[in-house]
Amino acid sequence: MMERISRNTRIFFEGAFYSYKALFRWLNPATYLASKVLAPLTIMIFFVFIGAYASGSNNASFYVIGNSLIFAASSGIFGVTMSVGGERWTGTLPYLFGCPANRGAMFIGRAFMHILDGMLGVFIGLGWGILLFKLDLSQANPLALLLTILVTTFSTSGLGLLMGCLSLITRNVMLVNNTVYFALLIFSGANIPVEELPAWMQVIANGLPLTRGVACARTIIAGGSLTEIMPLLKEELLIGIILTILGYFLFKVFEIQAKKLGTLDIF
Amino acid sequence: MDAIIVKNLRRVYKSSDGIIKRKVKEVVAVEDVSFEIHQGELFGLLGPNGAGKTTTVKMLTTLLIPSGGSATILDLDVVKDAGKVRPRIGFIFGGERGLYWRLSALDNLRYFASLYYVDTQVARKRIPELIELVGLQGREREKVEGYSRGMRQRLHIARALLHDPQVLFLDEPTMGLDPVGARELRTTVKNLQSANKTILLTTHYMFEADALCQRIAVINKGRIVALDTPERLKENVQDLSVVEVEVYGMPPDQIEKIKTLEWVVEVSLENRDQVQVLQVHTPKGAEAIPMLVENLNGLRLGRIITREPTLEDAYVRLVGGAK
Amino acid sequence: MCGWWEGRNKMNQVQKNLRVMLLAFEVEMRQNLTDGFVIFGILIQPLLVALMALWMLKGKGPDYAIFVVVGSGMTGLWTTLLFNGGNSITGERWTGTLEPLVASPASLRMIIFGKVLANVAQSLGSMIGSYLLISTILGYPLTLARPALFAVSLLVTVFALVCFGLILASFFILIPDFARMVNTLEFPIYILCGFLFPIALLPGWTTPISYLLSPYWAAQALHGAAQGTLTTGQILADWGWMLAFSLSYILISGKLYQVILRKARVDATLDIVGN
Repeated sequence: MMERISRNTRIFFEGAFYSYKALFRWLNPATYLASKVLAPLTIMIFFVFIGAYASGSNNASFYVIGNSLIFAASSGIFGVTMSVGGERWTGTLPYLFGCPANRGAMFIGRAFMHILDGMLGVFIGLGWGILLFKLDLSQANPLALLLTILVTTFSTSGLGLLMGCLSLITRNVMLVNNTVYFALLIFSGANIPVEELPAWMQVIANGLPLTRGVACARTIIAGGSLTEIMPLLKEELLIGIILTILGYFLFKVFEIQAKKLGTLDIF
Repeated sequence: MDAIIVKNLRRVYKSSDGIIKRKVKEVVAVEDVSFEIHQGELFGLLGPNGAGKTTTVKMLTTLLIPSGGSATILDLDVVKDAGKVRPRIGFIFGGERGLYWRLSALDNLRYFASLYYVDTQVARKRIPELIELVGLQGREREKVEGYSRGMRQRLHIARALLHDPQVLFLDEPTMGLDPVGARELRTTVKNLQSANKTILLTTHYMFEADALCQRIAVINKGRIVALDTPERLKENVQDLSVVEVEVYGMPPDQIEKIKTLEWVVEVSLENRDQVQVLQVHTPKGAEAIPMLVENLNGLRLGRIITREPTLEDAYVRLVGGAK
Repeated sequence: MCGWWEGRNKMNQVQKNLRVMLLAFEVEMRQNLTDGFVIFGILIQPLLVALMALWMLKGKGPDYAIFVVVGSGMTGLWTTLLFNGGNSITGERWTGTLEPLVASPASLRMIIFGKVLANVAQSLGSMIGSYLLISTILGYPLTLARPALFAVSLLVTVFALVCFGLILASFFILIPDFARMVNTLEFPIYILCGFLFPIALLPGWTTPISYLLSPYWAAQALHGAAQGTLTTGQILADWGWMLAFSLSYILISGKLYQVILRKARVDATLDIVGN
């Protein structure tokens, strides 16, 4: 029993680390700089300026907070799907599915690294916000903020796992990713207040991860307390758990499907 | 006239390793290769895997720039006159890649015909002819992703012939084909040669080189170790006979011991199903058998025969037992 | 007499090159259209951007709908050019078809031009799709103030983008890890070229940079023709800038492709599999 636990733990961490390293080569500083520090900044700037064009006032904080949390989503979605989809590209998917290692440990191991990475992305986003757009974090409860970021990153990585399954049946992972990413941009309240969306879209918005996380973050940075946001945060966590479980089962289903159809190594 | 002249061709690959301190490693794939191929000749380049055959062909087909030496095809330098060389040569590297899987064979051929500036009128006539030649008729409108390995190989051949090149490079063309397909391909190759095309064929199948080629260059570890007609290559080993002994489970150190015996010129071990066949090249012929058995003390032995050397044996001697 | 013969051969050569480009275009189109997800992505993303911008800019009134559709269409064009067009050469390398292409007498530039053109043309389809969807479903007035000028601007834009695509594709090969860094080029162009908001909002020192970007002039012309805010002369000037850039891209690409092909043959990077 202990042996199984330690074996699975090892698979978890090793799998996570090596797959991360192999597929992303983050250890190359230039790439890391470009993708994690600069690219999210450019997205943030874009929306802040559209916002400025729209409302003509200095509402930058609204967009900065929302978009910083979107960076968590980016890591969760792109990271995890690339992780799975990348295996397909390098042709290692069949080998991975052929091996007996515990699927759960393997799978979730990858997501783990991406959660850490996602959190880092949010901090970077908020950092830029402070630097360039005069974001004021002085009212924020640090613990509450940290917890919000952690939970939100977790729930979006759950979405990422789900997307990862789709990448098992198509070559065009990037397109699906981008689309979901943009959908999140619209529905999560990051750039458009949820209340301003038509009723049916609000329903979608509340079913997605990130929406509550963004709301919580805004509340905290405005000076709200942990107890205020707890209910929403719990819901966000629940969504993350549901998505992860769903993703895990879908993964297994698609694995069988792919094996039946022989699409595991189609280019 | 010589269609292909290769002089001291050399190719080095550099690879770097390490994240912080980049270490550069150099691998010499082709050390020093020289040969000439006459116009209309079917020339074989024979060697084990990793000997440098494909690299040599890639240099001749203008896909790699040599690290040293030179080569000319029809008096055109493969580096300086690459643009003029390309329309005159065709090549196949075969395999799964190199074709557009989501397109049909017909569309692949149409596309490449345009890339080789084949006149539309000519292409319209030639493509169906080529499809029939390689035996893909009836399936040319299906997408390549549904093709078997053999069918893809045949499509590669059709593509190489689209622009009716004077010189052809065939890199392991029968690899992956079933025996019937392989035999059909060899017939096709022979027919091409009788159309006065110059052909360089690479292979690691000895019998194929023996059956098809007028001359063979044996390449090992980036160097040509022999260049001659198949008959003369066989003659070079006529001084020896080959004693074949069936053994069951021969340990490697025992093979080394046998190699050191003074009347042994070369040794190789071949795996055939359950049994291994030890092939000993020796001038002593059948006389060597008792001494050999003595040295194989402790091992279970099967059939023992003595025979004349074949081209395969010549090859084994030239590449030093490696297969 | 020699001159006449050479002249005749030259025309055949032009025809043959054109045929290469058209077939490369056709092959790329077919490869993309057989994949359902490509269509999904090409149609959906710009639509989502449009919806988002529509909501964010709601306060500006319904006349802004056309601004949004054109602007979001441009974001789609640029993103497609960056990710799909840019991968033209590296994509061939993945399928093992780069070697046969390079070894053929056809010019690689012509082939890539055809491929990028196919990608940009498909993306254009999505701009038109968004236009139709938004005008029919949401009922917004989407009249073009100067339709003829708009249509020509669109053609010039496509040409300019494809010419830039030639350069971009070579960067993917020339600069290692470029594909990873290409994310950082997506949004800055949206920002600096004024796709969905005027560059007047940006700090002054960025303006010269905007002027150096061909998509800026494209956005100027397209927005100007769609909303009728520019004179004919101004729009013609925008075309002039785009064409000037395109010409320089074509000239630069000649030398660039020579360099990358030579380098690939020295480094043995025409194929990803071991040689």
